[in-house]
Amino acid sequence: MRHLITLGAAALLVTGCALTPDIAPPATADVSVEEAANQSSVIVDTHDGDFASIQQFTTPDGVSVWLVEEPSIPIISFQASWKGGSAVDPEGLEGLASAVAYQMNEGAGDLDALAFQTRMKDLNMSFGCNASRDWTSCSASMLADNAAESMDLIATALSEPRFDEGPFERMRRENLIGVKRRETNARFLASEALEAALYPDHPYASEMTEDSANAMTLEDALAHKDKLMVRDRLLVTAVGAISAEQLAPLIDLAFAGLPETSELPTIPTVDLADPVSEPILVTLPQPQSLVSFAAPGLQRSNPDFFTAYVLNYTLGGGGFESRLMKELRVARGLTYGIGTRLSFGGELATWSGAGQTKNESAGEFLTVVREELVKLVENGVTEQELSDAKAYLTGSYPLGFDSNAKIAGNLMGVRQQDLGVDYFDRRNAAVDAVTLEDVNRVASEYLSPDRFTFVIVGEPGGL
Amino acid sequence: MKSLIFGLVALLAPVFAAADAGSEWAPETFTLDNGMEVVVLPDHRAPVVTHMVWYKVGAVDEEPGKSGLAHLFEHVMFKETDDLGPEEFTTVVQRNGGQLNAFTSWDYTAYFERVAKDRLELMMSMEADRMTDLILNEDPEGSFYVERDTVKEERRQVIESNPSSVLFEKVMAALYPDHPYGVPIIGHMDEVAALTVQDGLDFYETWYAPQQAILVVAGDVTAAEVRPLAEATYGVLPPSDRPRPERGWQAVAPLTETQMLTHSDPKVRQPEYDRYYIGTSFRTDADLAYALQVGLNVLGGGPTSRLYQALVEDQEIAVSASAWSWVTLHDAGPAGFSATPAPGVTLEELEAALIAEVEAALEEGFTEEAVIRSRNSLAANAIYARDSQAGMANLYGRVLATGGTIEEVLEYEDRIRSVTPEQAIDALRTVFAGDKHYVEAQLLPEEEAGE
Repeated sequence: MRHLITLGAAALLVTGCALTPDIAPPATADVSVEEAANQSSVIVDTHDGDFASIQQFTTPDGVSVWLVEEPSIPIISFQASWKGGSAVDPEGLEGLASAVAYQMNEGAGDLDALAFQTRMKDLNMSFGCNASRDWTSCSASMLADNAAESMDLIATALSEPRFDEGPFERMRRENLIGVKRRETNARFLASEALEAALYPDHPYASEMTEDSANAMTLEDALAHKDKLMVRDRLLVTAVGAISAEQLAPLIDLAFAGLPETSELPTIPTVDLADPVSEPILVTLPQPQSLVSFAAPGLQRSNPDFFTAYVLNYTLGGGGFESRLMKELRVARGLTYGIGTRLSFGGELATWSGAGQTKNESAGEFLTVVREELVKLVENGVTEQELSDAKAYLTGSYPLGFDSNAKIAGNLMGVRQQDLGVDYFDRRNAAVDAVTLEDVNRVASEYLSPDRFTFVIVGEPGGL
Repeated sequence: MKSLIFGLVALLAPVFAAADAGSEWAPETFTLDNGMEVVVLPDHRAPVVTHMVWYKVGAVDEEPGKSGLAHLFEHVMFKETDDLGPEEFTTVVQRNGGQLNAFTSWDYTAYFERVAKDRLELMMSMEADRMTDLILNEDPEGSFYVERDTVKEERRQVIESNPSSVLFEKVMAALYPDHPYGVPIIGHMDEVAALTVQDGLDFYETWYAPQQAILVVAGDVTAAEVRPLAEATYGVLPPSDRPRPERGWQAVAPLTETQMLTHSDPKVRQPEYDRYYIGTSFRTDADLAYALQVGLNVLGGGPTSRLYQALVEDQEIAVSASAWSWVTLHDAGPAGFSATPAPGVTLEELEAALIAEVEAALEEGFTEEAVIRSRNSLAANAIYARDSQAGMANLYGRVLATGGTIEEVLEYEDRIRSVTPEQAIDALRTVFAGDKHYVEAQLLPEEEAGE
């Protein structure tokens, strides 16, 4: 494949929730969705946007839902998310939010893990949860014909999860192996080194360890589940062949068993340490060096956010159209790919990048990255580069809305970041409003090489 | 890249999709006068299209000593034409809000753009342009040779920095000693380093021509809209009259010996065990391929499967255990078993337990209930697969490029649902028969190296 870096620019503006519903497997339905719907009527506020017609409603029991009705394929993508992820793991129990998420489809009610998984396979559905840094999320895919039974199974999972010892110990075995495997993963080592240099004492820098994997108990996980999955922080989105009236009672059923609220620790804003002037070296025996770098970035609330987003396309976010790719790959053949990105959300904002090159070229690679940053700081971008960046970023935006799964993920991203139901419609105008003057000002403010900390993982030469 | 590193993810991906003939989802096809096939896959949910051109050439068609040429050439296709300057192809696509990429397999090479539907004609005219008017830069310091360096970096990144990928190359060489599937798609480093502009030109003139290509357009269009555009862009290209060799496909010979391959690397923190047999493909033996898919799903497809339940749940000897096959290649693909030991378990203990369970399953057969569950599951995947416009374009393109038909895609659900318990177990007994040779592979940390 020619591009290493997927041009997922559309997705970049609504990160936070990259849930890809698993392809789920077959069966027959006993209870019809229509029957389940008979008991309720909901008031639906429809936002007829450019990219999706979004129905907002509150269920009879008070759950706020965003739905995009898409009848053309008989499937439904369903997502739930709660603020609070791995960053709120108790000290010494790092990995506990992930442990909670792991157990959520490992048995519930009368069904042990095998019976639960078998029931999902019989219904041709999937359901699973995960914990990211700031969010705990669950997602499901189901056939429209099986919606009632599928949501019923999800209700059992959410309200009566078993957290049996068998699956818990299996997870522990997997976790211990995962901790060992990380030790030679170049990307993990690079991010660990950056965290240690820039925010060593913040919860965002903590990871599951062998000790924490061994320490956590079933009781810890069950108690933590009731802290993470509560009604008053619940966000729900759905896309597919189902109406608001049909969906509302199924959602009420699914979340009825959750506690109303919980106390979670507040995560402090990350106070980044000064950049490290010399590259941090991490030795790893392999033929290539991974060169990774990060600097302070911008939160979405920053008035310069879209300016930086457009600038990042020219720097390293635009695939072959980016300056780093043109210089390091196209002109010099030094790498299969290099990319840069803005990370935001939660309590940390960075501007970062990474690429790999053969060990003996690591010094040249590093020099070129720095030179390109200096050029942007000193000379800015051209009118043509700015207009190309805007043309791509706005023109490709509809590509992020061509599947139910993508729309469901985008909806959840907007809800998590509280961008407003009209965000999709406003987004391209915000990109178009960026001026050359602003781009060049932001380049000089943010892209000076001495703002960046560099990490090199491998056996680099030529430094 | 998915064609270069295939792992279980690729193997377990849905192989077919549902589309009821006659519905608004039904594919439409026609052929241009120059022999180029066209498939249109309507999906009107968003005003975008996926435009793909598949060439009936891949790594199997490389001459001995020229490994990696099909893939390097795929990279070079983005360089320059008589109408487009260096790197301008990508610039124009992205300036029009398009996403683009390409990939190379043993069996085919494909190029695609995803774009708003009102830019489709522009994409078609550019893709038609580089089908016949590519310019290769002969300068020893020029773009062809710089791209060759990029591919060498790609090989270092994708293969040589990943111990499991290095081992997999050895496995394929052992499984296919006299077949092109034994040669890595990305090529051997020394052979890639020796490829020349002349190699690229010969390859292009031999294999790139309209009668060698398949156009797939998925998205917010109809065949009635696509036909005039296709005729005006691709349709005006004359078919090539240059003689072409037969495709490099050939029957896969049975293995004549059982081999144990090991690869150790200081980066390996967790040993792994795999056993590979020569399986089948839809092209080689469709009935066997359908039955094998169902049988393998019962035996080792996911957490409800027999292998997972026995090795991971009951014996706690493994943290993963699966059975799989690769049936979408043109010629017979590999099939086999994979397992990762639980902490403290040796690969020998794991292998013994794994093979004992496989042998017991082959002896006992499957319950009808388990077979029905698996075949329903495989069939339902086809419904979910429809959600991805690009995935649907990929599916039809791959089937046609490997010699299959539209009808074959459409009948997938029915055929998978018609596999009987007897056929499912017989397929496994055929592929994994006791007298079959196989290749075992052990991935090991450095300190446990055999020698």
